[in-house]
Amino acid sequence: MLQYIIRRMLYGTLVLLGAVVVVFFIFNVLPGDPVSMLAGTRTDVAKRDEIARDLGLYEPLHRQLYLYLRDLSPVSVHENTPEEREKYEYLPLLTWGKNVIVLKMPYLRRSYQNNRRVSEIIWENMEGTFWLALAAMLFATIFGMTIGIIASLKYNTTLDHAMVSLSVIGISSPPYVIGTLMAMIFGYYLSNITGLNITGHLWDLDDNGNKVLVLKNIILPAITLGLRPLAIIVQLTRSSMLDVLSQDYIRTARAKGLHYYTIVVKHALKNALNPVITAVSGWLASLMAGAFFVEVIFGWKGLGTVTIDAINNLDFPIVMGVTIFVAFSFIIINILVDLLYALVDPRVRVK
Amino acid sequence: MALSTHREEDFLLKVNNLKTVFVTEDSEVTAVDDVSFTLNRGETLGIVGESGSGKSVTALSIMKLIPNPPGKIVGGQILFNSPTKGIIDLVSLKEREMLYERGNEIAMIFQEPMTSLNPVYTCGNQVMESILLHRKVSWQEAKRITIDLFKKVELPRAESIFNAYPHEISGGQKQRVMIAMAMSCNPSLLIADEPTTALDVTVQARILDMMRHLRDENDMSIIFITHDLGVVAEIADKVAVMYRGKIVEIGDTFDIFNTPQHPYTKSLLACRPRLDIKLKVLPVASDFMNVDMEGVITEKSTEQKYSSVGEALLLNFTDDEEIHERNAYLASQPPILEVQNLKMYFPIKKGLFGKSKEVVKAVDDVSFVVYPGETIGLVGESGCGKTTLGRAILRLIEPTDGQIIFDGRNITHIKKEELRKLRKDVQIIFQDPYSSLNPRMTIGEAILEPMRVNKIYENDFQRKKHTIELLEKVNLSKKHFERYPHEFSGGQRQRIAIARALALNPKFIICDESVSALDVSVQAQVLNLLNSLKEEFNFTYIFISHDLSVVKFMSDRIIVMNKGKIEEIGYAEDIYKSPKTEYTQRLISSIPKGNLEDIRRAQLKRKIKF
Repeated sequence: MLQYIIRRMLYGTLVLLGAVVVVFFIFNVLPGDPVSMLAGTRTDVAKRDEIARDLGLYEPLHRQLYLYLRDLSPVSVHENTPEEREKYEYLPLLTWGKNVIVLKMPYLRRSYQNNRRVSEIIWENMEGTFWLALAAMLFATIFGMTIGIIASLKYNTTLDHAMVSLSVIGISSPPYVIGTLMAMIFGYYLSNITGLNITGHLWDLDDNGNKVLVLKNIILPAITLGLRPLAIIVQLTRSSMLDVLSQDYIRTARAKGLHYYTIVVKHALKNALNPVITAVSGWLASLMAGAFFVEVIFGWKGLGTVTIDAINNLDFPIVMGVTIFVAFSFIIINILVDLLYALVDPRVRVK
Repeated sequence: MALSTHREEDFLLKVNNLKTVFVTEDSEVTAVDDVSFTLNRGETLGIVGESGSGKSVTALSIMKLIPNPPGKIVGGQILFNSPTKGIIDLVSLKEREMLYERGNEIAMIFQEPMTSLNPVYTCGNQVMESILLHRKVSWQEAKRITIDLFKKVELPRAESIFNAYPHEISGGQKQRVMIAMAMSCNPSLLIADEPTTALDVTVQARILDMMRHLRDENDMSIIFITHDLGVVAEIADKVAVMYRGKIVEIGDTFDIFNTPQHPYTKSLLACRPRLDIKLKVLPVASDFMNVDMEGVITEKSTEQKYSSVGEALLLNFTDDEEIHERNAYLASQPPILEVQNLKMYFPIKKGLFGKSKEVVKAVDDVSFVVYPGETIGLVGESGCGKTTLGRAILRLIEPTDGQIIFDGRNITHIKKEELRKLRKDVQIIFQDPYSSLNPRMTIGEAILEPMRVNKIYENDFQRKKHTIELLEKVNLSKKHFERYPHEFSGGQRQRIAIARALALNPKFIICDESVSALDVSVQAQVLNLLNSLKEEFNFTYIFISHDLSVVKFMSDRIIVMNKGKIEEIGYAEDIYKSPKTEYTQRLISSIPKGNLEDIRRAQLKRKIKF
């Protein structure tokens, strides 16, 4: 098993490397002048020149790629100077001559807009996105599986048909439409009853300027975001349960004299989980990418808002940083899911 | 007759006029039609019939496990003499009370040990579940009982199998776990639905032996369902023969085998390939009876065909001289296929970078020759490498080492283009007629496609004409051309698969367990068809099967395989009359023979006990 994890991690690293290279080239062919972005309009040529040199813009493309990869790599070779040390905040491992091998956090460069570290910006905004994605997926998984199981047990009845039809509507409605409707109905027209706001973040400042947790603000965006995965989980759970319920071992369990609900919960559900886990993890990973529309509609501060903002301002380091971060989350979640499979299904363990 | 000493109220189970139907939107099928029988305590009833005859539905009706909808018990009584509750009618019993009976006083074993255990729980857990449910014992006690049961069903290393998942043990072991599960609460009635059909003969023999032993030890009654009369002879006191939902004949096992009354019973007895003599053609059901549109069976008059099993066999007998002549003629020709030192290894354990560390030797250094017009039987237990060998000859998988020479040409390493030409000459008929036909393709298309791929005939019109000819060859007709596989029965599908193999005018056909999934009566038809086609087109067959009696009927020579190696090779008659190796002897002695002397002896022994 350990061997398997190591192999998966190696593959993951390769995938990540591929993603970085692709991202690098895409952003190199996009229009926009980072120097003007950084320096503003009123600067002299010398200043612009210095910025361009600092960004490595005078170097040939392959060297720029090398520098970018070196910035990202957790282990790398740098010149042993105070400037470098401040720029990368590295931990020196081995020094020889002018060079030093270092251990560091991946350096995602700085924002063109405000010169802050991209990693810092991602870190700050990741929390909002993370909680939102998690809440949405929890909502989708719990309700989706429950509805899916009920539909499969009531197979071919009106209730089953109604649930399947509703889930089709859920799958086919885009989140920005749902989001707008939800915000209007529950956050505005019915806000007296629901007590919810149209917009708002997880953390708010109270009158004294202290940070307070406003949990209710997560409700509407999470539901909006979770609706589509929910609909898909309903269908997956239902078809997977129907398949499992017709298996021979369910008949064996019935022949033992077990109560029907024991059979459903103990014998059927665990076997039906695999496709659901795949769906849930895929969605969780893509929601980590930031749910752009939903974050914008509900004024949620997260990676989505930051990214859209960065795109509007041609702030490439942030967009690149977020893209790579998302690729990284995908890989990590996928490895976790593989472990989960093995936990649920002993047949996977052998491979 | 044999058990008439029992008093009337001694019965354990009495089924009166049971009727079970399956209702779909536009039709109602009566699966069990007015079935009645009585089973006494300690007695074993065999129910025999082909698939769809209602034998499994009868069993599931007793367990009240008919999937509802669409199935429903619409009439009759199932009286069960419960040791704790007295005589109860299972049909009208509430579901809650039925839960008490199931797995406790009435237990069931199913046909497919591979899929009947839940893959995500350990074997021990699944057996314990039953014990904890019905018997008031602690967890530790239940575990102890389970391990005892595992020992009783002769599972090796009972403790480690307790913690093993179903995929980690073999098919025979799984069936033993199923039996342990069924035995866990000492049921009065055990229903076994084709418990040994999916297993190898040697495993089957051991499981039957064990079931007999458990039955006598626990004074348990068994309803043993099977399509194989030979198996019934091994275990049952009484036999009921079912056909289209009805019991057509019920009686003492010896009487059924000795003096079958119903024409269907006669045909069942006659169509089993035999070990002692070699028949030219296997008798089939239609040799004995007519079935009209309403399903009414009438016996054929004596002039038309056979009147008894014995007559059917005598008229078909091939004598030794004919066999010798044929064998001498075959061996005088140059061989069509030579296999030299063929090896086929599969890597099993992979290292960190995908390098294989260990290999399974599926085929290990195998050499033999096949003469034109000959049928070579390839026989062995599951996992012995017979299927792999067949596929390697066809180059469906790349052999690890060795030579395959077909028609004077070395085909071990030929390229794709030539391989396609080779496939024209060598065809394969697979085991499962249900999954080897594409469900979205009409059968006409399925047969026509290989001709189109290999550019046989100029256009589709001619190909279609040929396809219809082929359909007629395999006893189907023109009207079947546009139909889809799901509209056909298993036997018909296998004939379609044969027509598809014939489409390319091959010289050489590999039959990979081609009749194993079929009922005995249908199997007889398909085997006869294969033989008549062989005479017509002068085919050479490699006939792969785990069923020795089928291989014996089909083959001129037989190769016995064991663990990837050839155990023994020789003429069919010689192998059966004087098997040289201990392995072959064991294989042959495991076959249920169903001969009268054995049955009489077994019955006498049982009667002394009663």
